[in-house]
Amino acid sequence: MSEFAANETDYEVVEGEPPELLGRNLNSAGHLLASATAFFFLAFIFAYFYLRSLNNAGLWHPKHVTPPTTFGTLVMALTVLSAILVRLGLADQRAGRRSEWRLKAAVGLAAGVGVVVLQVVEWATMGFGPADGGYASVFFGWTAFNLLFIVGTLFWLQNLLATAIRYRNVPVGGKPTPGHASGDPGRPGHDVADPLSLVRPGLEALSFYWTFLAGLGVLAWVVLYLA
Amino acid sequence: MSATAVEIRPPVWRRLIGFNAITGVIFGIIGYYLGWFLGHHITGKSIAFFADIDQNDLSVLLGYFFGVSGFLIGLGFGVYPWARLRGYPPSLREKETQGTSRYFGLCTDHKVVGIQYLIGIGLFFFIGGLNAMLIRVELLRPASQVFPAGQYLTLVGMHGTMMMGMMTSGILGPFANYFVPLMIGARRMAFPRIESLTFWLLMAAGAVLTTTIFFGGFPTGWTGYEPLNSQANTGMDSYLVFFALVGVSMCLLGLNMLATIITMRAPGLTWSRLPIFCWAVVSTSILNLLAAPVLIAVLGMAILDRTAQTTFFNPQGGGSPYLYQNLFWVFGHPEVYILALPGMGIVLELLPVFARKPLWGYRLAVSGLLGVTLLSWLVWQHHLFVSGINSDLRPFYMLSTELISIPTGFTFLCGLMTLWRGQIRFTVPLLFCLAWFFNFLIGGLSGVFLSDVPSDVTTHGSFFSMAHFHYTIMGGLVFAFFAAIYYWSPKMFGYTLNERLGKIHFWVMFISFNSTFAPLFAVGFLGQPRRTVTYAHNLQFLNDWVSVSAFVLGLSMLVFLYNFVYSLLFARIRAPQNPWSSLSLEWQLPSPVPVHNFDRIPVITGDPYDYGNPSPGAIPATAPAGGSS
Repeated sequence: MSEFAANETDYEVVEGEPPELLGRNLNSAGHLLASATAFFFLAFIFAYFYLRSLNNAGLWHPKHVTPPTTFGTLVMALTVLSAILVRLGLADQRAGRRSEWRLKAAVGLAAGVGVVVLQVVEWATMGFGPADGGYASVFFGWTAFNLLFIVGTLFWLQNLLATAIRYRNVPVGGKPTPGHASGDPGRPGHDVADPLSLVRPGLEALSFYWTFLAGLGVLAWVVLYLA
Repeated sequence: MSATAVEIRPPVWRRLIGFNAITGVIFGIIGYYLGWFLGHHITGKSIAFFADIDQNDLSVLLGYFFGVSGFLIGLGFGVYPWARLRGYPPSLREKETQGTSRYFGLCTDHKVVGIQYLIGIGLFFFIGGLNAMLIRVELLRPASQVFPAGQYLTLVGMHGTMMMGMMTSGILGPFANYFVPLMIGARRMAFPRIESLTFWLLMAAGAVLTTTIFFGGFPTGWTGYEPLNSQANTGMDSYLVFFALVGVSMCLLGLNMLATIITMRAPGLTWSRLPIFCWAVVSTSILNLLAAPVLIAVLGMAILDRTAQTTFFNPQGGGSPYLYQNLFWVFGHPEVYILALPGMGIVLELLPVFARKPLWGYRLAVSGLLGVTLLSWLVWQHHLFVSGINSDLRPFYMLSTELISIPTGFTFLCGLMTLWRGQIRFTVPLLFCLAWFFNFLIGGLSGVFLSDVPSDVTTHGSFFSMAHFHYTIMGGLVFAFFAAIYYWSPKMFGYTLNERLGKIHFWVMFISFNSTFAPLFAVGFLGQPRRTVTYAHNLQFLNDWVSVSAFVLGLSMLVFLYNFVYSLLFARIRAPQNPWSSLSLEWQLPSPVPVHNFDRIPVITGDPYDYGNPSPGAIPATAPAGGSS
């Protein structure tokens, strides 16, 4: 269904925003999202130390509750690896090495999927359950929600990668056909002046956030497996 | 250069079939039963739903999850992520030019979202208010008469939860969404789809909470305290999902507002020229962004306790109910300021217009707003004074709580000094602003009693604290809300609300509000606890007085409703473009504001409160703004 003037030139004049505006939006959103995520997991860090110090009924950490450190280390390492690959991919993207960035992002995505799989396998095979005391509760709650955030971020990465792959042959500054905007074939024009140019600011915001999540993953590993 | 957006009007049948609210409701119901069936399948319990609710928390929670997902997909929120997943490029705008149907689905025009919020929140405010009337009916007599104790608790809980949850967006939802982009010279919000999502999430949340009556209600009041929370029946799940959805909506709303104000201000609109209402939005958004995730986390823990048998809050399993209290109030006290700060912003924004004076102490007012934002993080344990916290901690939280009155006092001072020797026009919006001063002062002063440990020990959990927070929240937020709606209606709808009816509404509301809540301080001092269906016989006169006053207060809302419907649908008196002679940017635009707001992004050359200055400042240097050429 058409929604805007058929004459694309007219529409761009209406939009008329500085081209870097959307990039700035994404950048600030990445940082704000990281702040919100930090406060979310602060609740679990608080719960960890609060319940640990109370040790109600002596059930903070019963003896049989031993987290599988190998799995935990693998999950953490793969998260960090994925974040590093995305960072390197961003450097390639900035340098105009488009095929290299796509490759690194794809491997980073695969590593992220590996994190998800490993986490599920860890839950299924470990020797304690969520009802086994305070630590077990924090462990399951923290890792479960962490996984949700990871899945969301991988979805974001997948979006950017899919756009980069779909339009891999469009030269820099080129535009896809207007009907491709949001996949809506009825659209006669783009409401973003240069939609493909948004891959880079998107990747910058994502890379920041993914690195932040990897940092949280390291913190989780230290607190849940080593402390 | 044309700025025209083409109006496409497909046939009615086509508009009904697409993604809209009807589809959303249908998909929501289908999704609910899908989740419910899945939950039963996982737990292997009976699926005799219509005969017995069988206390299957998992099936109810999965029902809500799939129901809300279906609702959002039916509204059209799944289309864009699906397209992006397949690599299609980003776009910003959807359904901005489709007439009335824009209001019943995903629309990315911030002005449409603002009006959606106004009507949607108004609906749930009405339901919450109706609950309050029923509570006061019950309290007409000392013994239980209309509702059994359990139902009464649910009623109180629904009233409190509905009001505290939905009204978090009471001002930011309608007014910040509508006016912040206009005030900062932007054409849209930073993330228009997220803006729309926040509204529809809130509507889904309201519907979820209302369905608690099908699952036996919940006994905890709006705080959802443990261990009652874990012991309650499946009606508690409605509370948990409701507040989690509200939390997500708040967090995204805050993120979107902050991103918009940080990145999309027009050239020349420096931080020191930002309208004070936008500063209040910034302050509130910081709290939204950071406090709501803590709420979501603690509710997530409670959901895991009820479904996955974790023991976060179960002391027999290594947990602690105090953990819930702590985390809830880490969110809950900033939440109080999430409700109060936008009201302060509205009052400070409107006073210069009606006093025809610049805002006194602009920087002091901003520091007051930001000071409240900061200090609101350091006070949460005053809610736990009587819960058995370490007594060594009490003095710190007592002092930090009292400290917050200093930045609050800044905003008071700035407001009053703005009025001082002003050429005051006693319009309806100004009357509501003046009432805000009176109410919020009483609310603030009574708060000192609750922050002091000795007096809190005797008044905690009584009607005294109930009166206190109604003075701050209803007296602060709701009066400011009405000031805003009378003030901005000409711009939002193009019609003026009836002045005489507005004044009747104001006086009836102001008098009945004080007549309702002032006696409750005495009732509380005399020992009547909150959330109990019976009370001592000697308190009946005061309770009857309060109930009758509350009914009049309810009546005043009907006066407003009548005025609103009458003025907008029947009288339809066209408002001039700038009826209050305001210098703020939004009033320089035509009414109704065009979809794209500005033909050209304005350049700001002065501050928005240059009243009395012969050369107006806030009017953009590069006029014209708005309108289609």
